[in-house]
Amino acid sequence: MDRLLRQLSQLAITVFGIVTVTFFLVRMIPGDPAQYMLGDYATEEALATLRAQLGLDQPVYVQYGLYVLRAVTGDFGSSVVTGRPALEEILFSLPDSAILAFAGLAVAVAIGIPLGILTAERQGSWSDMLIMIVALFGISFPVFWLGLASVLLFSQELKWFPALGASSGGGVLTHLHHLVLPAGVLGISVAAYITRLTRSAMLEVLGQDCIRVARAMGVPERRVVWRLALKNALVPILAIVGVTFAWSLGSAILIEVVFSRPGIGSMILKAVSARDYQLVQAGVLVLAVAVVLVNSLLDLAYGLVDPRLSTR
Amino acid sequence: MPNHPMPNLHPVAPAAPIAPATAPRPVALELRDLTTVFPGDDGPVTVIDGVSLAVRAGGTLAVVGESGSGKSMTFLSALGLVATPGRVRRGEVRIDGTDILHQPPERLRRLRGAVISMIFQDPLTALNPVFTIGEQIVEVLRAHQRIGRAAARARAIDLLARVQIPDPVRRVDDYPHQLSGGQRQRVLIAMAIALSPRILIADEPTTALDVTVQAQILDLLADLQAETGMALVLITHDLGLVAKYADDVAVMYAGRLVETGSMEEVFTRPRHPYTRALFRSIPRLDGPVDEELPAIEGQPPNVARLPPGCAFEPRCTVGRGRADCCTRRPLPLAGDRSGHRSACFHEDLPDRKEAAR
Ligand SMILES: Nc1ncnc2c1ncn2[C@@H]1O[C@H](COP(=O)(O)OP(=O)(O)OP(=O)(O)O)[C@@H](O)[C@H]1O
Ligand code: SF4
Ligand SMILES: [Mg+2]
Repeated sequence: MDRLLRQLSQLAITVFGIVTVTFFLVRMIPGDPAQYMLGDYATEEALATLRAQLGLDQPVYVQYGLYVLRAVTGDFGSSVVTGRPALEEILFSLPDSAILAFAGLAVAVAIGIPLGILTAERQGSWSDMLIMIVALFGISFPVFWLGLASVLLFSQELKWFPALGASSGGGVLTHLHHLVLPAGVLGISVAAYITRLTRSAMLEVLGQDCIRVARAMGVPERRVVWRLALKNALVPILAIVGVTFAWSLGSAILIEVVFSRPGIGSMILKAVSARDYQLVQAGVLVLAVAVVLVNSLLDLAYGLVDPRLSTR
Repeated sequence: MPNHPMPNLHPVAPAAPIAPATAPRPVALELRDLTTVFPGDDGPVTVIDGVSLAVRAGGTLAVVGESGSGKSMTFLSALGLVATPGRVRRGEVRIDGTDILHQPPERLRRLRGAVISMIFQDPLTALNPVFTIGEQIVEVLRAHQRIGRAAARARAIDLLARVQIPDPVRRVDDYPHQLSGGQRQRVLIAMAIALSPRILIADEPTTALDVTVQAQILDLLADLQAETGMALVLITHDLGLVAKYADDVAVMYAGRLVETGSMEEVFTRPRHPYTRALFRSIPRLDGPVDEELPAIEGQPPNVARLPPGCAFEPRCTVGRGRADCCTRRPLPLAGDRSGHRSACFHEDLPDRKEAAR
């Protein structure tokens, strides 16, 4: 209970920090929203009126104060483009991004963790080295490059998967069919990272005394690696998954753009070019809170894995 | 372990009475010419060099030597547990006359824990922090036997009782961090004896524990040995423990065996100048005996750069600078019928320091 309270207060502080940072970050986007909305030929008067209407004529700290006050009540302003509440717009497209990010993370975990364990088990062998080199390439390639390449190969050439969009109609199957390629691309690029970190977490555990003891008692190597060592490595591995969730959400945004899928990413991109401050703010905030929430949940999971952490 | 009364450590004191002359017990574990190398900057470094020794069933062999002399590595090598990139280059490890090292890994694994077991110095890190002690004992049982969950758990509780853990039925579900250091070492002993191995290697089992707990753990090992007749290898820095528990002693220096013999022989008539230096620095007669291995003069050797002759030559008060000591390597040879051996060209010469006195 204590733990939960501490988590929650940490969460509140973090969210406040995020609100602040996004506010100022968004103000750093060059260009004047009023100008953008009214076009190049707007009169000075019309611009002034609109700025006043948007609150942009106030000093920045007043804008910030008002923003925070409203944010506390859940009001993040309205999109200047559509006029609808910004938070609503964002939450509306959250599921699309979340599905992609989680699908990608699932692919990454399913590939990365077993590969990391296998390579740790065979440290120094040629298969270990080969996989590590491939993983290094995987990390170094930008995800949108992988995305474009896979669109060219699997959609244009082989025509296995649709290249663009997410089916709006259609059943679960068509939906999944649209998801395979973007989630696969996302998963593979994140998997490279998870593989490397899982490997080093496992190697560290495999060098510990308690593992040597298990070997000295004749515990079979498979059990030593996949049970005794793996459970020890689970806390660092969970931490890795937490970090990569942030990353996979970030990559999901890029991938949405490459594959023209609907989602927060596409929406933020449009909002930035429209200088739609409210929408950008709300979008970045929702993404950040999602990352923080997932990491808090993982924090709670550590306690289940490691008895030393739960009896504190 | 005989647990005989403490003999005097001074070389001229009479030895404790020797055990009745019954037929010698069979050799349980024998190392022959065991040699282990690690890759180094200038070619392979021999960290264990031609070690040959034997432990009899029901007997206790104490292995002593400075830190880094290769005591642990010798027995890790014997169990096939040398961490990569190290490897056993040469030699045999015989149990019941068969060499276990040159067997398929799976056969060797089946022997580990079941026939030959090892416990380590630091009970704080030797147990797996994320499994209960019961789970860890069960893991060992199930590594060697087909046994159901409930039966394995019952066995684990029995074993905890056997190593005198109070309230084993409740303790079996504890995690290691809920136990004291002494209790953790007991749990490790429980794991090591779970399958009644014939040989138990105890690598400084009490170094990390405080003195009263040390005595309890060693008495526990002595009791278990008396019950089961297992052979015990006791790696230690503590000459007091050697005197109290050992039948035989092996002294190591720079990865080589420099002296072996019965405890009485080695304590009363140490031959190798290194062994003599060890005993000389112990307080005479009735001084405290449970003392750490005394430091002796000179730099501890670097096994990557040993002199071409005797490894002890740079520090040896007898042979320093002697032509034979500097060029040829002395091998441990049986000096007499008692099996007391030492690897020294000049074991009959007195130390220069002593002669000067
Ligand atoms: N991974 C390794 N790589 C290279 N050399 C090693 C490695 N592990 C051990 N050694 C060497 O093996 C030698 C023997 O070490 P070992 O641990 O057996 O000594 P020890 O007699 O047990 O010492 P202690 O009393 O401190 O336990 C040392 O010289 C050490 O440097
Ligand atoms: S062989 Fe020579 S150097 Fe080595 S211990 Fe004996 S006397 Fe000393
Ligand atoms: Mg050691």
